[in-house]
Amino acid sequence: MADPSVATPAGRSVIHDLGYRPYTGPRLGSGPIARALVGTGFRNTFGLGRSGRSKVLPFLLLGLNLLPAFIVGGVMVLVGLDELPIAYAEYASTTQVLLGIFVASQAPVLFSRDLRHGTISLYLARPLRSDTYALARWSSLLGATLLFLVLPVLVLYTVALLGEMDVSDQTADAAVAIGLAALLALSLTGVAGLIASWSTRRGFAVAATIALLLIGNGIVTAIQEIAREEGQPQVGEVAGLFSPYSLYRGLMASWTDVETATPPTSTAMEVTYLVVFLALSAACLGGLVWRYRRVATA
Amino acid sequence: MAWGCLGPRLARVVPVVHTERLTKDYGPVLALDSLTLDIGPGITGLVGANGAGKSTLIKILLGLVPATGGRAEVLGHDIGSDGAAIRAAVGYLPEHDCLPPDVSASDFVVHLATMSGLPRVAARERAAEVLRHVGLAEERYRPMGGYSTGMKQKAKLAQALAHDPSLVLLDEPTNGLDPAARDEMLGLVQRIGRDFGIAVIVTSHLLGELERVSDHVVVLDGGRLLRASRTDDFLDATGVLIVEVIGQDAQQRMADALTGVGVMTIPRGSVLTVDAAGSPDLHDLIRDTATDLGVGLVRLHADHRRIEDVFADAEETSDG
Repeated sequence: MADPSVATPAGRSVIHDLGYRPYTGPRLGSGPIARALVGTGFRNTFGLGRSGRSKVLPFLLLGLNLLPAFIVGGVMVLVGLDELPIAYAEYASTTQVLLGIFVASQAPVLFSRDLRHGTISLYLARPLRSDTYALARWSSLLGATLLFLVLPVLVLYTVALLGEMDVSDQTADAAVAIGLAALLALSLTGVAGLIASWSTRRGFAVAATIALLLIGNGIVTAIQEIAREEGQPQVGEVAGLFSPYSLYRGLMASWTDVETATPPTSTAMEVTYLVVFLALSAACLGGLVWRYRRVATA
Repeated sequence: MAWGCLGPRLARVVPVVHTERLTKDYGPVLALDSLTLDIGPGITGLVGANGAGKSTLIKILLGLVPATGGRAEVLGHDIGSDGAAIRAAVGYLPEHDCLPPDVSASDFVVHLATMSGLPRVAARERAAEVLRHVGLAEERYRPMGGYSTGMKQKAKLAQALAHDPSLVLLDEPTNGLDPAARDEMLGLVQRIGRDFGIAVIVTSHLLGELERVSDHVVVLDGGRLLRASRTDDFLDATGVLIVEVIGQDAQQRMADALTGVGVMTIPRGSVLTVDAAGSPDLHDLIRDTATDLGVGLVRLHADHRRIEDVFADAEETSDG
C-alpha cells in the first residue's frame, strides 16, 4: 500500500480511498447553532437558498414597497420640496397591504414547511431545544419584516438629508418611525407565525393571515370612520385596540404629527395601546413556543 | 480500513444504550413497561409490531419525550439531564418523510450538519463526504422532490451521518424500497456498523431483514422486552426445511414419497415442511425424491424464523 505522506512519483498517480473519516473538528454550542438557523431562515424568507421561483414573490413585494419611496425621492430631486410629502411613520400605514401579503406569504416558509414535510423531527433530533427553534424561526421572520418596514424609511431619510432638510428633526422623526415599525413587526411576526405554525397547508396559512390582518383592519377602520362621523370617537378609540394596523395608527397619531380618524385621546389610552401592542406580540411568541413544545413531545 | 481508527471509537461508546425499568405511561396507553435493556456497539436490530414501543423508545432515547419512570443513558449521558449532549452525538433517520422537496440534498445535508454544531466549512466537507458514502452522485444538486424513494432514503441517511455521530437510530430505513434498493440500504447499514465504526440501532418489522445485517436483535412487545440476544441465536432455532414442488398433484405425491422413505412432512399452504433434526443428508434425499417423481423442485431451504415465531414462543412460555 502506498504511503500517502510520500509524494507520488511523476507519472504514477495513485487514488487513495480514504474510507470513512471521522470528524475530529470543533462542535459548536446552542448559541452559534441558533444564530445559523436565524440566518438561514432570514435568507429563506426572501427565497435565497431555495428555488428560483420562490424568490419572485418576496422580491416583487419588496420592490413594490420601495417604489413609492424612490418616486418620492425622484420628485424631491426634480421639484425640490422643503419637506417630505409623506411622513416616515405614515409610509408603513400606506403600504400596509403589501406588508400584510409579505408577512402572510413568507411566514409559512419558516413555520409551515418544516411541519408539512416532517423536517421538524430532524431539527428536534438535534441539539437545539424546541423553544430555541421556535425563537430562532420567529427571529428570522422578525428580521425580514423589519427589513421590509425599515428600508423605505431609510430611503426617505437619505432623500431628506440629500435635500438638506434639518438633520436633527429628520433623525428624530425617522427614529420614532423605526420604533413604531419595530412594534408593528413584532406583532405581525407573532400573528403570522402563530397561524403558520398551526397550519401545515401554506395556502390556508396565507389566506387566514391575510383575512385576519387586512379584513380585521378593514372592519376596525370602518368602525373608526363611522364613530368619527357620528361624533362618538371613544368607540373608535376602543375599536383601534383590535388590529395591529390600527394600534400602529393610534400610536402614530400620538407620537407624530400625522392625523388619523380616532386617535387615542388620553395618556391612559396611549398606554393601553402600547400595552396591547406588546402583549399581543408576547402572547403570540408564547403560543409559538408552546406549539413547538407540543410538536416535540407528540 | 485505513489507520485503524475503529478501536478507540468503539471502546468510547460502550455501552451505547442502557435503560433501567424505563416506563412511559401515556395515560390510556402504557407505551413502555419497565424496560430494562443494554445495547452495545455494533448493529442492533429493534423489532416489534406497530405500537410495540419502538418509536416511543427512540423518542425517549433522543431526550425529546420525558419518561414517566425509570432511567436511561445514551452514550453515557442521562436522558433527563443531558438531552442536548445526546442529540449532538446521535444521528436519527425517521420513518416518515422529512425532506423538503424544493431543496437539494447537498444544501439540506450542509444545513443539518450546521444544525448539529459543525462550523460552516466543515459542514460542507462532511456533507460532500457522506453523500458520496451513501451513493448520491450528481443528483445531490437537484431538488429532492424529484428523487425516487431509494434516493430519498439515502438523503435521509446522509443527514443522519452528517455530523459523524457515535450512534445512529435508523427507523425502518428499508420501508417502501424495492428489492434492489433494499439490498443497497442494508449494505449501507452494514458498512456504517462495521466499517464506519458507528453503533447502529435499526428498527424493522421484518426480522428476516434484520437477521442479515445485525449482530444483536431486541424484540419489543407491548412496551416490554420480549427477547434480546445475538442474532445467531435466533437463526439456529427451527431446524425445519421448507420444500416447494410443482407439477401434477406434486405436493401430495411428494409428501407420500417422503413418508415412504421415513421422512414426515407437514403441509403449510403451498409448501411442505420437513423436520430436519438429526438427518444431515435430507437435502440430497429430497432432491433425489423429487427427481424420481418427476416433479419440479421450486425451493428447498431452511425455514427462516419470523417475528411471529418469536411471539408464539413467548406465548407458549408464558402459558406453560
